[in-house]
Amino acid sequence: MSASPLHELSIAQAGRQLRAGTLSSTILTQHALSRIAALDPRLHAFVLVTKERALADASRADRELKSGMDKGPMHGIPYALKDIYATAGIRTTCHSKLLIDNVPDEDSVVEAKFKAGGAVLLGKLATHEFALGGPSFDLPFPPARNPWNLDHFTGGSSSGSGAAVAAGLVRMAMGSDTGGSIRGPAFYCGTVGLKPTYGLVSRRGVFPLSFTLDHCGPLSWTVEDAALTMQVIAGHDPLDPASADVGTPDFTSALGRDLAGLKLAYPRSFFATQDDISPEVIASLDAAAQQVTKLGARVEDVTLPDFELFNACGRIILTSEAYAIHERNLLSRPLDYARYTYQRMMLGATISAADLTQAFRLRRELASVINCKVLDTYDAIITANGLTPAPRIDSFPVDVPPKMTLQTMPFNVTGNPTLAIPTGFSSSGLPLGMQIVGRAFDEPTVLRIGAAYEAAAGSTDKRPSFE
Amino acid sequence: MSTQDDASLEAELDMLMAKAGAAVPADSRAGIIAGYRDLKRMAALLRQPRTAADETSNIYSLKSFVRSKQP
Repeated sequence: MSASPLHELSIAQAGRQLRAGTLSSTILTQHALSRIAALDPRLHAFVLVTKERALADASRADRELKSGMDKGPMHGIPYALKDIYATAGIRTTCHSKLLIDNVPDEDSVVEAKFKAGGAVLLGKLATHEFALGGPSFDLPFPPARNPWNLDHFTGGSSSGSGAAVAAGLVRMAMGSDTGGSIRGPAFYCGTVGLKPTYGLVSRRGVFPLSFTLDHCGPLSWTVEDAALTMQVIAGHDPLDPASADVGTPDFTSALGRDLAGLKLAYPRSFFATQDDISPEVIASLDAAAQQVTKLGARVEDVTLPDFELFNACGRIILTSEAYAIHERNLLSRPLDYARYTYQRMMLGATISAADLTQAFRLRRELASVINCKVLDTYDAIITANGLTPAPRIDSFPVDVPPKMTLQTMPFNVTGNPTLAIPTGFSSSGLPLGMQIVGRAFDEPTVLRIGAAYEAAAGSTDKRPSFE
Repeated sequence: MSTQDDASLEAELDMLMAKAGAAVPADSRAGIIAGYRDLKRMAALLRQPRTAADETSNIYSLKSFVRSKQP
């Protein structure tokens, strides 16, 4: 059996070779930089490649590992950040004209944790402007392209993160998720994406979109790599008002176990009755539900509140909070925003105090249904992510922002940990996937289910081709 | 929606934009109108009877958020 190409090594595999001395971080990093140079002109995943920083980080990691120092699972491993994570001394634009010259003085907490963990920063990744809008062609950088078919959309807003991981430019990239911005790109690009429980990962130093809906989390090729990343970035931050002071579990503790004894809810009508859903998506989800049953889980059909209630609740809150953050610039510099971003954010000026209060009230009701009813009986929920494969990137109207056919918003509204995982491919060769939703702060169970499914379904076996 | 409804909706939106102090670029107007129509539909969905358990609060406790059994 031939050895895997370097870009196909997982974090765990590369880490073992780094510690055994059979691979150096410098070689790993040079390989990634070469791959970025060769492929990114077509993918547009990166808005900035930090080559000198990466090589310096790698050289330092090699010295440290050689001396016996071990800073944890990301030591010597290349990674990249969505360009809304502040990086001290490195341009952080939010993919916007408004911040085109922004060079932060301080690192975001997540970046500081990667630095302390000896990881290797490859660069900053494309996003939809300020983690909203998109896909836009009227911005300083072009939108990222889907590695499975360059004519198709990556999803967003962590568009570059999804494209970079799927293309093997990097094995883990950080995204953010306010209404599905990790899980959407993971679905369209065929990667794993974890939106952790609200409050588990510090958002300090990450440009906010919606204070009560924003989550930071990884996109990766494997579930194990998402777990290893969480081991580095999770933890209480007293300076993030939304950070929860709960312990940090061992995220890898349940990986490798089968699903015996688990009860999973499968809310089929939640997605199958949607007008937009593709029959291929339904078939793929039904097959996934059968697969987890074979792995030992008991899967039962349940009914959730109407998706439209979750979506309305989340949209009202997101639009209100985003407008509050951007109000001054929207009024004084409207032409500096991409058209889609401006159109979406300006709607915040039309939302009344009563609308927002009703949304917060409904949010408690919906969170109660998920946490006190469904997840009091079941260990997790498996459900749809996207309702159709990735659309063509040129299929969106110019004048009106497109609606995204994703069912991700419900778990931003409730804050539950949610893993996006591939389930196969459409007849057109584009990825399909599902969401696994767990109890608050029970990432280990969510990751256990994802890893067991991934191993049984072989969902990481096929990679995009660039021949 | 009828033409009259469209005109009424646009007049309402124009008033709200003026109140906010926004000079909406002409090429953004169609998208904002479409979004406003959708947002009004969503705001109507939120207006249903609620219980005391749904009240928002100032001080939050994780226990009230994580009421399902602990992992």
